[in-house]
Formats: sequence, structure tokens, C-alpha cells
Amino acid sequence: MPRTHSASLALVLAVALLPGCGKKSAPSPAPAEPSAGPPFVFGLLMVGPYNDRGWSQAHYDAGKYVEARLPGAQMIYVDKVNPGDRPGTTPAQLAEDLVSRGARLVIFNSDDMKDSCLDFAKAHPDIFVIHASGDNAWKEGKDYKGLPNLVNIMGRMEYGKMMAGFAAALATQTGRIGYLGPLINDETRRLTASAFLGARYAWTKYRGRDPAELMFKVTWIGFWFNLPGVTADPTQVADDFYNSGFDVVLSGIDTTEALVEARKMAGTGRKVFAVPYNYVGACETAPEVCLGVPYFNWGPAYLRHLRAAREGGWQAAWEWNGPDWADINDPDRSAVGFAKGRALSPELSVALDQFAGELAGGLALWSGPLTLQDGAEYLRDGERATDRQVWYLPRLLEGMEGQSVAGP
Amino acid sequence: MNIALENISKRFGEVQANEGISLAVPAGTIHGILGENGAGKSTLMKILSGFIRADSGRTFLDGAPAQIRGPADAIRLGIGMLHQDPLDFPPMTAVDNFLAGRTGAWRLSRPDARRELEERQADFDFRVDPGARVENLTVGERQQLEMVRLLSLGARALILDEPTTGISALQKDRLFAALRKLAADGKSIILISHKLRDVEMLCDEVTVLRRARVAGRAQAPYDLNELVRLMFGRVVTREPRLEVPTGGPLLTLDGLAVEDHRLRLAGLNLEIRAGEVIGLAGLEGSGQELFLRACGGLLRPAAGRLRLAGRDLAGEPYPVFRDAGIAYVPAARLEEGLVAGLTPAEHFAIVEPGGGLVIDWKLTMEQAERRIAEYDIRGAATGPVDSLSGGNQQRALLSLLPPGLCLVLLEHPTRGLDVESASAIWRKLLDRCADGAALVFTSSDLEEILQYSDRVLVFFGGQVAGPVPASAMTVERLGEMMGGQP
Amino acid sequence: MKEGRPGWEAAVRIGLAAGLAVVFVSGLLALLGVSPARAFMEMASGSVGSAGKLADVLVAWVPLLLVASGLLVTFAAGLWNIGIEGQVMMGAVFTTWMLRLLQDAALPPALVLALAIGAGMLGGALWAVFAGLLKTHGGVNEIFGGLGLNFVASGLALWLIFGPWKRPGVGSMSGTEPFPEALWLPQIGALRLSGWALALGVLGIVLVGALLRGTYFGLKVKAVGRNARAAFLLGIPTTRYMLSGFALCGALAGAAGALQVTAVYHRLIPAISSGYGFLGLLVAMLSGYRALAVPFVAFFFAALNIGSIQLPIVFRLDSSLSGVLQGMLVLCVLVVHGARRRFRREAAP
Repeated sequence: MPRTHSASLALVLAVALLPGCGKKSAPSPAPAEPSAGPPFVFGLLMVGPYNDRGWSQAHYDAGKYVEARLPGAQMIYVDKVNPGDRPGTTPAQLAEDLVSRGARLVIFNSDDMKDSCLDFAKAHPDIFVIHASGDNAWKEGKDYKGLPNLVNIMGRMEYGKMMAGFAAALATQTGRIGYLGPLINDETRRLTASAFLGARYAWTKYRGRDPAELMFKVTWIGFWFNLPGVTADPTQVADDFYNSGFDVVLSGIDTTEALVEARKMAGTGRKVFAVPYNYVGACETAPEVCLGVPYFNWGPAYLRHLRAAREGGWQAAWEWNGPDWADINDPDRSAVGFAKGRALSPELSVALDQFAGELAGGLALWSGPLTLQDGAEYLRDGERATDRQVWYLPRLLEGMEGQSVAGP
Repeated sequence: MNIALENISKRFGEVQANEGISLAVPAGTIHGILGENGAGKSTLMKILSGFIRADSGRTFLDGAPAQIRGPADAIRLGIGMLHQDPLDFPPMTAVDNFLAGRTGAWRLSRPDARRELEERQADFDFRVDPGARVENLTVGERQQLEMVRLLSLGARALILDEPTTGISALQKDRLFAALRKLAADGKSIILISHKLRDVEMLCDEVTVLRRARVAGRAQAPYDLNELVRLMFGRVVTREPRLEVPTGGPLLTLDGLAVEDHRLRLAGLNLEIRAGEVIGLAGLEGSGQELFLRACGGLLRPAAGRLRLAGRDLAGEPYPVFRDAGIAYVPAARLEEGLVAGLTPAEHFAIVEPGGGLVIDWKLTMEQAERRIAEYDIRGAATGPVDSLSGGNQQRALLSLLPPGLCLVLLEHPTRGLDVESASAIWRKLLDRCADGAALVFTSSDLEEILQYSDRVLVFFGGQVAGPVPASAMTVERLGEMMGGQP
Repeated sequence: MKEGRPGWEAAVRIGLAAGLAVVFVSGLLALLGVSPARAFMEMASGSVGSAGKLADVLVAWVPLLLVASGLLVTFAAGLWNIGIEGQVMMGAVFTTWMLRLLQDAALPPALVLALAIGAGMLGGALWAVFAGLLKTHGGVNEIFGGLGLNFVASGLALWLIFGPWKRPGVGSMSGTEPFPEALWLPQIGALRLSGWALALGVLGIVLVGALLRGTYFGLKVKAVGRNARAAFLLGIPTTRYMLSGFALCGALAGAAGALQVTAVYHRLIPAISSGYGFLGLLVAMLSGYRALAVPFVAFFFAALNIGSIQLPIVFRLDSSLSGVLQGMLVLCVLVVHGARRRFRREAAP
């Protein structure tokens, strides 16, 4: 029996094992001409595709930024570094592949690579390691490891998310804002909560509405982007939001499903909006429904650390870099920014600028009284949250709907 | 259409299926082709209808030599064949099946086809619903549909392979009426059958095949005994049967009933005695296979008891029968008996494992050599069994039987073997009788049945006659009983 | 015990097929503007170019070897154990379960690991026997039953990761909390390869090879696989042998899953099987169902898997090109096989 079917079944298997038949993934530019100085090769591991118009592309563009500004810097990279796309590999193993290609510094761009990144940093003390989004180099943090070759970098996206939430609450007609959440952890909790704080501020202070009338709901898909069959389908989640009375969806995931669905809805005549995340150019996918995008600008920080690695002066550090309030969209100075979208009306745009001005002037939304979703007091009246309190936000805030921690 | 076949021969590997067969069917006649299973009937007709090609010989249609390269060729030349298992498309509707095989127009017109189908059916009093799915039709209706389809494609000669198997009496009457009408219209009809009654009722002339050759011809009205004689051969001198004194009762059948989806045997009572040989005679499919399988524990009896040394085995699984000393030797050697790809030595290791986990190859090879010598198997112990010749495969199969059996059940133990091999096989089998085992076997060779049996059971359409002492039988009488004459 | 045609002939066939596949892929690479010679060189050096690389290849080799060994048994029994992927997953799930159960107990880590791997083998075996029972007693063809059970196993793993076994405070599909280092299978020096895993893999194929070659069990399994009806008439309890074949294969697949947890990822992740189940089917087929060829073919596939990472790094090519190469290889083997049979038929009318 087996042999008679073997030909046909082998064929089926062979076809099943061909994921995306060998498309060339980049208009591959030859490695940058070493203009001056000896070449300095650095590696970048990205959790998603390098051109995802989201988290990974923001890192890829930062790498390009460094190549352009640091003479001799050359980037090599592997994208789609996750067990679904690259079965049988670990980030540490891929990092070694980059090292064997000459990389002297490796950037791990995902929280998901935390364990593997630590393994690698420990096993390769001679290689500089940057982990974007981790806390293992934070002395005051919960998980300090004290590795001399490890730097953690994160942007204070809380501000970007506040602005995103602010814009959403100004734009909503139904008073219902959906948040397309990735997985649940400290980072995603504090970002989601920041968006909520911005939204509530706009709703109460700018629109003078009752906070109880604002619905802010989070649905988590389970990962940073869609893993078919593994995560909830973000397209479906966004659709469900728009079909149940939500007219603005904020995205917390790496990819742009919320925008795409918003455009579809707008195509049927509904007035809906979306706010993507991560990447400065994310709105381009569907500009007519995009209120704007809070984005990371990793370039300046990378440039600083790569220069230090190359020229000496590297120091283990944990950095949580904020916006440059003089111009939050300054590509050379601001670590986080907010690019306004075409769907943001002129009045809303003015209000948003005014809000940014308030933030720059010291408005602290992360201040008491704030209560957690389970009713526990988080901040007393008048108390301002410390970095540690914000970073390790244990639950969502009162007033938000959605799971605070995973579990049955 | 006048059809003539001249000197047709065809060989499949070791088996000569047709040898020098000639046949003439004039237009307007119904011609029967009789013969036991394996006589070469179907091969001959598949050659005529283009499904297989002859090794040698010629075909003439209306006097002109014809090259038939495939079924499409055949139908173009006006020859249509109705196979025993209809070659239709079950999930499709009757009218779509009717349209299948049309050449020419790309566009199908269902209403036209429906009208044509209904008109043609009316000619023969056929009543197939054009919209019905073929999978829901009876075998008879599918046959009617196929016949009408072939005629609509321009068939002037129809070949029917065992058309009366599995259809109702009413459908059979309609079929025969239709065939007579077609013959009266000048079409030629060829009917393949091993049913004497059908041939007697319908055919103007009969050609009997036996062992790949023409055994004889006859014209209506027929002497049925003569047809049986032609089908099964003439009695040659009978060697005296080895006398083995039969012992006490071994297996007792008590009101046994066995059935499958098309046949039911009921109320069987029989006492098989140690040392005895019982032959099961009957046309293929008359119930003898069911009987044999029930005795071997391969078919669960519907009722009754099957007592071996006082213990009722009815309903027990096959391994219990096997452990009780009953062995079953199937006719399909490579399909059911031996494992193609394994060597004889490996077969011996399977049936007679040494103790322990690991195969003791030395011991196994010794056993193999011994059995090969004992059973005179010509072939290596370490080559695949499927490369042995048929006779050697049969000997290998017998050599696998454990010693000390009390009952050996055999399907066609010498089918396809030459005389020398056959008598060697029988010598081995009769040795078992001498040791007190009983043998029960089926055979389509009536001489073999009479020569080796003590008693004979004759099967006809689920009815069992006998047991009759073989010494009181002749081939002629046996043939009559197999044909249903009391 | 001769397995039909001589070994060298099979080797020639595989070599011919590999050559053909290389020609096709070279053409594709050339079309993409990449020098095929350089690409193959990079892939070679990226897989066997250093001790570290070789160790990574062996890390992938071990589970492939175990899975393919198991499949040799089910193939010998005439079974298409497509459910192998789910059996690897269940192995991983059972191993994780046992480790979670015992990680805080005061037991020596070696014992905990041994129990965990044993649990994994049990899990894989149970899942395989389940597919077997569906076939022998439920009349469900093992291909469809296996596919269904694959979905169930993967669903179960996901539910566990997102639900009961989530990391504290975290809800992510990226995996469970890693186990403490004491519960990792010890690695060889700075390599990611575990000697114990390697030993288990080698043991698996050696055992299966010996089992099929020289034991009554193996012989009977083969008889059942080649002709179940005849085997039954010859007195072999075919159902029991089929289920044993499933159980053995499942246990080996479960061991592969257990090693993915204890030696590679040190936690349960959704893609824990890494697709090794399906890949193992290809390995077993391309090996011509011969134990002797399996280690080599498995090594080749493992090396391809690891070496192909160089394609995106060096040439910015999508590494799914290695999937194309694998697919090509399979197709070419089938073509060569088909051509040979056709040739045989025509030569011997």
C-alpha cells in the first residue's frame, strides 16, 4: 500500500514544504562602499519581515541610517526570526551566523528573543549586543543580569501612544475605541494604558464628556503579528471591532491589518479610522483613514552605541529614550515621534499640537489618582509614577476593557 | 456486422490466456462463448473490443481486416462492449453518462440528449430515469443505460460479459428481448457466460473455450451434457485413488448457514471424518467458496454450529481455528497466500519462529533448505517468492503449513499447474490424510474432484447436493448436477 | 535479508536525482542574478564549515533521524503515518508537562530529564496508537486520522501555551517560561549540541535498523505491510502488529519532541515540532525506506535547513529557496524513480 501512493503523497508533501517559492526579497544593494575607515559589520535580527511597514522595518531603516552616517558601517541581517517562519532555528544560532559573517555587534529586535539574546550575550562576551525592548541591563529593573556587552534600548512610546489615544478620542463619534493588542506583557500593558490615558484626557478635557461614556477595549491576538493557525487573526479582530460599533481602532501589533480593514469599511461609506504603530511610513498603506502613527526612531540611539562600540567607550546601559519635544519628528534627535495622518482634520491637528505642547510642558498623565482594573490602587492622588512603576505596570487601568493578564 | 477472429493468441507473463482461437459471428446472430473462469473468454473479448492487443492473430469486420488499437477505435468501427462491472461514472446523472464518450461537438445539449435517450429506451422497454444519478441505479439499469449509449454511438456489434450476474429476473427478460430484437435488426451479439441456461435460452451458436483454446462448438438446440463435457473436459483414465482408511468424525456441521451479499447457503449438515478428502464441485460463485471460508473461520456463519472435537467454533475468530489445527490455503497465491517481496526463508521464519527476539538465520536457513528439499521447491530460499513459478509458489504455500494439522481447506490447489506439479502437490496432501488430517478442496477440474475425493458436495446457486461418494459419480453426472439438474 | 535491489543502485539514483535538483536550482539562482557556485559554497560552509555550524546541523539532524527511524517502522507496516507531526508535538507537550510537574521536586535533574523524555515517548506513542485505533477499529484511513490528530495536537499545545502554562503575567503565543538550566540536557562545551540527544538519535536508527533487519517482530511487521491478508492467513495478528508499529514510531517521534524541549528550546513553543515530522516523511521516502541511507539523507536535509540561512544573509534571497531545493530534490527523485520503472517495463515486455 505505501509504495503505490508514495509518488502522489510525496508530491503533496513537496508542494506543502515550499512556502513562498524563492522570491527575491530585496532589490539587494551591494554592501555600502566603505567610504572611510575600516569596515564595521553589524548584524540585525528582526522578528518579522524587514519590509513589514511596522516594527521590523523601523529597525531595518535605523540600520540603513547608521550605515549612511557611520563610515564603514555595514549591516547584515536576518528577518522573520521566529520559530514559525524559521523552524529549527534559535535567535542565538542565527546571531552566530551573523558573527561568522563578520558582525561584531548584533541587534536583537524583539522582546520574544530575550532568552536567546541572553544566552548569546553570555556565550559571546567579545560581541556587542543590543536588545531592543529588554530590561536585563537595567540596574533598577527586576531582571538585571549585569552583562558588560549588553545594551537595552527602548523608546518612550508612552508619549506616542498617548497622542494616538488622544487623536482617537477626538475622532470617535461612537465613543468606542478598539485596541488591537499583540501579546500581553509589561510593555504592551503600559503602552495600551498610555493610549487609554491619552484618550480619556481628550474625551474629558477637550470634549468635556463623561469618562463613563468612553469605551476602550483591548483584544489581544497572542503575538506581534499574525501567525496563521497560532494567533487570533488580526484582520478578523479589527473587523469585529468595526462591526460592533467601534469607529477607531488603535493598533498595537507590528503589521497594518487595522488600517486595511478601516479602508474596507470606509469603502462601504462608514466613517471609521485607524491608528497604526511602529513605523513612520505606516499610514501610506491607507492614508485616507489614518489619523497618524506613533513611531520609533531607533537610528540615533543605534548610531551612538555603534560608534561607541567601534571607537571605544561602549558601556553596558539601559536606555529609555524620550521624544525631543522641540520637534518630536526630528529624525536625528527624537527617539519616538508621531506622524500625522491625512484623516486627521485641521481642528483635530491643532488640538493634538496643543496636547503635545502640554506634554512637553510637563503634563503627566501617569499620575494619581489611578486605579488598576481589579480595583487596587495604583497611584495615590498627586503621586507621579516612577519609571519602574510604569515599566512594570501589573494590570490594565480601571476604565479599560480587556484581559490584564493571560489565562483562563 | 460479420465478425471473424482468426488464430488469436495472447500471453500474460507465464499464463497463456488465448491460444490460436478462431471464431465467426455472422450478422444477425447471437453467439455464446462458454467456459469456466480463466478459460480465456474475457481476454478474447477484450482483444476484440480493443482493451488489450493480441500477440498474434487477425480480426476481420465485414470481411475486411481491422486494426483495433483501443476502445475508441472499436466503437468507431461499430463494436461496443458491456463489461461485467459497468464502466460508467457513478456520481454523474444518467443523461451525462449517456453523453460521455461522444466525439465531435464541444457543446453538449442536454435536452436533445435526454430526448434521444428516452426514444432509444422506448425501443427496448427500458425505463432508466435520465436525471437519476448512476450510483443510485441498479446494476440492470446501468447495463441498460450503457447498452443504449453504445448503440447511440453507432455500435453494430455488442459484446456482453456475464450480463445476467446481479440483475433481476425481470431485467433479464427485458435484456434478452432487447438482444433478440437487435439481432433481428442485423446486429451481431456476443454473450460471454458460464451459465448454461442463459446460453441455451438465447444463443444461436456457442463456442466453448477451455484452457485458452477452443474446446468445441455447438448450435441450438443444445445437449447440455455435451456442453458441460466441452467445458470441463473428457474423462481420462483415472489413477486408483490412494486408499486411506477414514477415521472418526472430526468436524461436524450442524445446521450451518453462511451468506454474503449475493448468496446464502443454509441448513448444512455434514460430518467430516479424519483422513477423508471432500471435493467441492460447482460453477464459480455457486457457494463452495463461502462454505470453505466458513469452515476455515474466515467467514462468520449466520447460523448453526461448527463443532471440532465437540467444541463449537462457530463465531470464533480465525486464529482460534488456526490454533485448533485448521489451515486455509487460498487460491490467490500472491494476493492472499504469500507475501510478495519476502523470501521463502523469511516465510518459514514467520510461521516457525525460533524462541527469542532476534531471528536465528542459521536455524531458519536450515529449516528452509529442508522444506525446500521436502517439497521440491525449485528456486532459492533467499529470492523473493514472487519470482518463483506458479507451481513452486503453490508448493511453497503448502510447505508453510504446520505439521499435525487436522483439517486442510484448499481453494483450487492445482489451478494453473501442469500435470506433474499437480500430482506432486497431491502426493504431499494425501500424506497429510495418512497422518489423520481431512482435506476439503474446491476445483473447477471435475476429473481432479472425482480422482481425489472420497465424497463430493455439489453446489448450484446456493443449493448443496450430496455428499455423494465419488466412486458413484461420473464427470457427466457431476456436470449435470452443477448445471442444476437434480 | 536482502531488501530487493542492491544498495549502490539506490545510491546512484539518489545521486542522479540530487544532480538534477542542483541543475534546476542553479538555473533558478542564475535567473535571480546569483552565482550558483557561490550560493552552494556559502550553503556548504554555512552548514559544515565549522564545528559550531556542524553542531547546529546535528541539532536538527537528531530529531529528523528519530522521526525518520520511526517512520521506517510504519512504512514497513504499510502505513502512512502522516500524524507524525502531531506525535512530535505530543512528545513535547508530555515532556513539558512532566518537567513542570517535577521541576520543583527535590529530585536529581538527571532523573527528572529521564522521566520527562520517557513521558514524551509515551505521549508520542499514545497519540500514534490513537491514529492506529482509528484505522483498525474506526475504519478511518491513517492519513486522514493523522492529519486530524495533527490539528488537535497543535491546538492543544497552543491552548496550553496561551492558557494554563502561560508565563506569569504574560499572554503570548511565543512560548512557555524557559526551564531552569539544570533541566537542560547538558551541552557539549559551548556548542548547542547535546551529546545525550545525539546518542539517543543514533540509538534510535540503530535499533530500528536492527529491528527491521534481524528480528521476528520486524519481519512480521514487514509481512503485514506487504500483504496484510496473507500475513493474517499465515497467522500474524495483523491489527496488533500495525498498532505496535504505530506505537514504536510514535515513541520515536515523541522522543524527538522531548529533545526539542529539553535540548533545543528549553520550553514549549507553538512550532515546537519545527516541521520535522513532515520532513521526516521525505527523508524516509528518499532513503528508499532503508535504515542505512536515513542518516545520510537526514543529514543532508538538516544541513540544507541550516546552510540556507546564508542565502538571506549573503545574497538577500528569501531562504524559502531552500524549500524549493528540497522540493526539487523530491520531485527529481520521483522522476528518476519513475523513469527507471518505465525503462524496466520497456526492457522487459
